[in-house]
Amino acid sequence: MNEIINIVGKEVVRNVIGLVGVLVVVVVNVLILTWVERKVSGHMQRRIGPKEVGPFGLIQAIADGIKLLGKDIITPEDVKKPLYFLAPIVIFIPVLVSFVVIPFDSFLQVKDINVGILVIFAFSSLSVLSLLLAGWGSNNKYSLIGAMRSVAQNIAYEIPLLLALLPVIFMCNSFSLKDVVEAQKGIWFVVYHPIPFLIYFIAGVAETNRTPFDLAEAESELVAGFHTEYSGMRFALFFLAEYSNIFIICAVATIFFLGGYQGPILPGIIWFFIKTYALAFIIVWFRWTFPRVRFDQLLNFSWKVLIPVSFLWLLITGGMLKIL
Amino acid sequence: MSMTSPSAIIKGAYSLITGLGVTLKTFFMPVVTVQYPRQTCEIPPRFRGHTKLVGDEENPDRTKCVVCMACVKACPSHSIKKIEGEKKEGEKKKTCTEYILDFTTCSQCGICVETCNFDALAFSADYNRAVYTRAECQFDLVKEYEKRK
Amino acid sequence: MVTDVIKKLNTAVAGAEATETAYAERGYNISISASKDNLNKIVQFFDDEKFYLEDMLCVDYKDYLEVLYFFNNYRFLCRTKVALRIDPANPHVATMSNIFDGAAWYEREIHEFFGVVFDNHPNMGYFFLHDGIDFYPLRKGKVPVPPEDKKRLSAFNVEEEEDAFTINLGPQHPSTHGVLRVVLKMDGEYVISAEPVLGYLHRMQEKMGENRGFMQFLPNTGRMDYLGPMSFNAAYVCTVEKLCGIPVPERAQIIRTITIELNRLSSHLLWLGAYLADLGGLTPFLYVFDDREQINDILERITGSRLTYCYMRFGGLYNDVDEQFVEGTRAFVKRLYERFKMYETLVTKNVIFINRTRGIGILDSEKARKYGFSGPVLRSVGIPYDIRKVEPYAAYDRIAFDVPHEMTGDALDRYMIRVHDMEVSLKIIEQALDMLPEGPYVTEKVPKKMKPPKGDVYHTVESPRGEVGVYIVSDGTDTPYRMHWRVPSFSNLIIFPYLAQGTLIADAVSSLGSLDLVIPEIDR
Repeated sequence: MNEIINIVGKEVVRNVIGLVGVLVVVVVNVLILTWVERKVSGHMQRRIGPKEVGPFGLIQAIADGIKLLGKDIITPEDVKKPLYFLAPIVIFIPVLVSFVVIPFDSFLQVKDINVGILVIFAFSSLSVLSLLLAGWGSNNKYSLIGAMRSVAQNIAYEIPLLLALLPVIFMCNSFSLKDVVEAQKGIWFVVYHPIPFLIYFIAGVAETNRTPFDLAEAESELVAGFHTEYSGMRFALFFLAEYSNIFIICAVATIFFLGGYQGPILPGIIWFFIKTYALAFIIVWFRWTFPRVRFDQLLNFSWKVLIPVSFLWLLITGGMLKIL
Repeated sequence: MSMTSPSAIIKGAYSLITGLGVTLKTFFMPVVTVQYPRQTCEIPPRFRGHTKLVGDEENPDRTKCVVCMACVKACPSHSIKKIEGEKKEGEKKKTCTEYILDFTTCSQCGICVETCNFDALAFSADYNRAVYTRAECQFDLVKEYEKRK
Repeated sequence: MVTDVIKKLNTAVAGAEATETAYAERGYNISISASKDNLNKIVQFFDDEKFYLEDMLCVDYKDYLEVLYFFNNYRFLCRTKVALRIDPANPHVATMSNIFDGAAWYEREIHEFFGVVFDNHPNMGYFFLHDGIDFYPLRKGKVPVPPEDKKRLSAFNVEEEEDAFTINLGPQHPSTHGVLRVVLKMDGEYVISAEPVLGYLHRMQEKMGENRGFMQFLPNTGRMDYLGPMSFNAAYVCTVEKLCGIPVPERAQIIRTITIELNRLSSHLLWLGAYLADLGGLTPFLYVFDDREQINDILERITGSRLTYCYMRFGGLYNDVDEQFVEGTRAFVKRLYERFKMYETLVTKNVIFINRTRGIGILDSEKARKYGFSGPVLRSVGIPYDIRKVEPYAAYDRIAFDVPHEMTGDALDRYMIRVHDMEVSLKIIEQALDMLPEGPYVTEKVPKKMKPPKGDVYHTVESPRGEVGVYIVSDGTDTPYRMHWRVPSFSNLIIFPYLAQGTLIADAVSSLGSLDLVIPEIDR
């Protein structure tokens, strides 16, 4: 073992193990989140949710995964093939990369990059490209409308998403996620910045295309939006990316506002997952309570409310830091 | 009705939070669904299943049907395909030997049950009648009666 | 009031020959026989007098075709039958769609089934019979379809245009609830025009009615509107009772009222859930099903069925109710009052829901009159018109209730109307339960084979979606000579192209949902 490490170098081995770990986390996260989504939606609707496969239906998601893998891969006749094939891959890769910089615990991080949060944002911006590819490549009018919506929506909501994080970045003078967490040893940033936390969370829900902001797939208007023409494993990749995105949004919220892996008694990684999944539960909870907003209302809300308020907060934070 | 005024936002946020309260409260309430097929519902006595022939109290070997064909004429969908009967020795009335109900077109409206002057038809409570071929939907009610007996 | 109208008409239109008819027997107050020359004047007269076009149909009397226009108004009961006889060899009538917009669709339907051509009609395209027909289905003899009419069969195929694209909303689409197809011409997210295409569930119920005995047609009525079968049962049964003069015992009348209202509740509840699902909120759908199951359980116990109840009979009911039904209904009424509070918090006050419905699809009373929509859609524009009040059937004349109405006529108002309608239904049920007398539930000696006397009769009831009208012509035999159904979803859908025009696709879906359409009812 040591010989191999000596030959290829410590860093490479660390990265390979890290990537494998990230893949595992991505897949396990999807299994957990889909189970949570089904159980929560079930009980909120006074149903029981999955219960047949495994205890409490815990391995239902695995059964579904196997089903999706076993499905015939259907390519509709008139799709623009290169774009159609590329879209599910393009949506999935950035998700994987984003996981690399997330500190699950003080020692558990694949790579601490000093511009960590920028990496996450840069790569998650790519997902909108994938939705556009899927919408255009599917050669379906519903898909195209969905894709157009998602582009407008992502542009509108990425701005408040980043603006809401800037006050925190001001306070700890670093883009590194680990530094941000370490800066919250005493008090969580949500205490200093409750409004940016709310803005970030709302924008995050919009960024992940979840109800009440699920306009890109709005099933009652656009059938299934950008993934109307996808089935089998290709659809599964979109599905995987959606739930991974929820995790990333919640993880970043945990890191920036809720103290990341900081917490008493329990080990850091447990705290991290508790906080992240609590936020994920809220996102699921939203979906099973609210109707969908309309497209123009969504954009209005971002441009007229979220962005001005976050700018205002940024100014105040900047001013306060200068004075103190 | 501007969505962007501060008071509208606060009022709206309040309405959303109370809405979340409703679903959270429901989350902890017991489920109301029946776990079919592990559990089944009780079938009410008036349930309109497919029709069945009623047995004669005096002679359980035969049904009350006397092959008068009134139900055949009454059926709006012509679902009663064939009724055959014979006159057995020592009996005044005809005995039904074959009663074919085409369940593919029957809509369980019950006109035949109401038309029957001899109370020979009734609704069964049997609802598990999914089959794979159309031929299996041709129920012979006399045979079903024999089986039940 | 009726005599005033007759007097006015006879002076305004020379040779109109309006006569008063026995309302109790015929179901309409005035009968007018028009000619091709004065038809336009008569229709114009009713437009000036602020009447609305209630129904339009055609009857083939072999020697001549009779096109019938039914007019009525929202202020006082004055149903008027205008009959126009035309030559079957040369069936041409001037269109009335320039006066009443709603006539356009009725005329298309008549053209399709009878081959009557309405001159100057904007679009004589087919509605229901896309597969092509060789003979006009409702004509009594075999009248072949001329080739120029057959060409119209493909008239619903859409052509692509520059700067716009067309999109098919349906027939398989999550928010058309069934097999309605709407061809939307779009400019980005905006709808330029909407064209409903019907007929994916067409079964020709009116022809079936001509081929079956009166009793044999009864199960069909529930299959037209599978969400409000009690009302449709009642509409048909009441019409035949009127035609044959069958009395109905008091107990049966009260039970009819209770079951119709229970059914109305279940229909409105399902609509509420489905509408929220249209707007993207899926959880209320499951909550309403929880409540609806209770109604289904109550009705299944007495009728034996959960959806197509087929509970009414000529002169009474299929079966009597018992003490358990009364108690179960009382318990349910109590429960639903509680549940309304929950719906209010979850849905009615929700800011997202309000913003998705307020100001969407605004209608006004003039549009109501021109297009002839009815039910909650009509009451949302500020007209408290309810058949239960105007022409009481069952036991509605003995029960005190308000007719809720709103003013704006937008989707939110249509939602509020239905919520208030449910509260009214609960009050009606409570009163009716208190009134429930002992006695027979069905009249003795109703013949098994109906042979009504010659004549025609029109009868309306208020279904959850609006006004259901049944017109039956009897020739003295045991099958109806002609049976016509005025179904509320069809006449409410006529307004949709107007509502959708120029709106966002999301608003078009919201408007479509707020009309509460049941597709088998539209297609019949």
